[in-house]
Amino acid sequence: MMPMLTLIMAGGRGERLYPLTRDRAKPAVSFGGIYRIIDFTLSNCLNSGIRQIYLLTQYSNVSLERHLKLGWNFFNRELGEFIESIPPQYRTENQWYVGTADCIFQNINLLQREKPERVLILSGDHVYKMDYQDMIKFHHDTGAEVTVAAAEIPKRQASQMGVMAVDKTFRISEFLEKPTDPPTMPGRDDVSLVSMGVYIFNTPKLVRELIRDSKTNSEHDFGKNILPDMMARKEKLFAYPFKDKNQKKAKYWRDIGSLDSYWEANMDLVSVNPDFNLYDQEWQIRTYQGQYPPAKTVFVNEKEARVGQVLDSLVSGGCVISGGRVEKSILSPWVRVNSYARVEESILMEGVEIGRHARIRRAIIDENVKVPARFQIGINPEEDVKLFSITPGGITIVPSGMILEKPAQELIIKN
Amino acid sequence: MKKRLLFADDEQNLRFLYQTEFSGEGYEVEVAQDATEVLAKLEKNTYDLVVLDIQMPGMNGIEVMEKILSANKRQKVVLNSAYSVYKDNFMTWAADAYIIKSADLTELKDKIKELLEQ
Repeated sequence: MMPMLTLIMAGGRGERLYPLTRDRAKPAVSFGGIYRIIDFTLSNCLNSGIRQIYLLTQYSNVSLERHLKLGWNFFNRELGEFIESIPPQYRTENQWYVGTADCIFQNINLLQREKPERVLILSGDHVYKMDYQDMIKFHHDTGAEVTVAAAEIPKRQASQMGVMAVDKTFRISEFLEKPTDPPTMPGRDDVSLVSMGVYIFNTPKLVRELIRDSKTNSEHDFGKNILPDMMARKEKLFAYPFKDKNQKKAKYWRDIGSLDSYWEANMDLVSVNPDFNLYDQEWQIRTYQGQYPPAKTVFVNEKEARVGQVLDSLVSGGCVISGGRVEKSILSPWVRVNSYARVEESILMEGVEIGRHARIRRAIIDENVKVPARFQIGINPEEDVKLFSITPGGITIVPSGMILEKPAQELIIKN
Repeated sequence: MKKRLLFADDEQNLRFLYQTEFSGEGYEVEVAQDATEVLAKLEKNTYDLVVLDIQMPGMNGIEVMEKILSANKRQKVVLNSAYSVYKDNFMTWAADAYIIKSADLTELKDKIKELLEQ
């Protein structure tokens, strides 16, 4: 019998990250230049010594599958290790997963096959560093049926999340989804404990709860249905206070829920002392990286202001900064910034090219967009809004493959 | 009104037994010999409770139950098998009861009565 099986839910459509999620599932969205969002959860598993993992995928999973195949296929089945992605099986219903609980219920045969004592349920679209072994030990020590990982969040930000009220031993007394007045944690009346979407269940309890829920007309969601229902029956649920392996003062956990928070989380990485540390050799984040030549800057013609410069930025392999200036930005592989161009506070995905004299400010430019010479993005909002969507936070979004060149011939419309 | 029961079993003798015994208890009883017949009957009629044998030729009782529940999650289902090993199959936990077959039908009768009173 396997002590623990890990199920990562990687089926979220990520509508609020549209258009980045137009052609790829949210866990496959690029983050920090070379990573995909799923890499953080998988790296947590790897660094926690967890090696029996099923990824439950759903929408637009081509990019995700490719990334897993290229970057995460080193576990050895012969040693009982695996990361396998499982598309919907339509075993019992011919429809997409309704909610998180339905996603696990539809895959109950995986639990049947592996017969784990416990199941660790993770979400594939969060960014954080956590040693799941600490949580497993906590689950064991408390004798809980279910343990829910809890992040400490200022009370005023907690009302959009699943919030837990706990006693001194961290036994959960209430589980509230999006409460108007969130309960606070013992001894801290400004801080609430919110669910991180990370659960450990004893397997028999999980199965019984999923079956029970499947027979109701609920939304089949852990946070909205399963956990509150269990609380109503006074089941033994504990909150595990999240311990960050990030070696920073502030605990870091982000659900990249919107384009603005995506942009902000990326911008944090280029600050002098980021909240999220990518450079910790004790907790490395693994990803797939192709064969790229080193990033390069060319031209130091200061007289003509044709200087290839990169300041406060992350620059991936294969990039060439050819006489342009890049500041506070994240560049994925194979980005080219041509002479006299300026890029500031922006995220440029793989294969983006910035033409001469172009100016880019506070923008997210998705894969393979060629920005023509002298083109401006993020400089003149009245012009931008004609072509692009702009987030509430003022970030201009350029979807992948968008053609920005003017047509060779002007279109003449005859009456 | 009489409660309607549907029994599925591939053994003719048992079907006969269920028909006789449960009609005698005052139920309206129908029987089916396999999954296809069960599903066909459920398309046309409604039953207060369905009793399924597990080992049947073709689709087994657990699979039939999955199909039944995905079409109607409130359908009451009892699994009735000569074997207890199927209790290890998580999907059997979705049944309202799992009864080990016996010549003495008391346990099955009691359980059905209890479930129909709920």
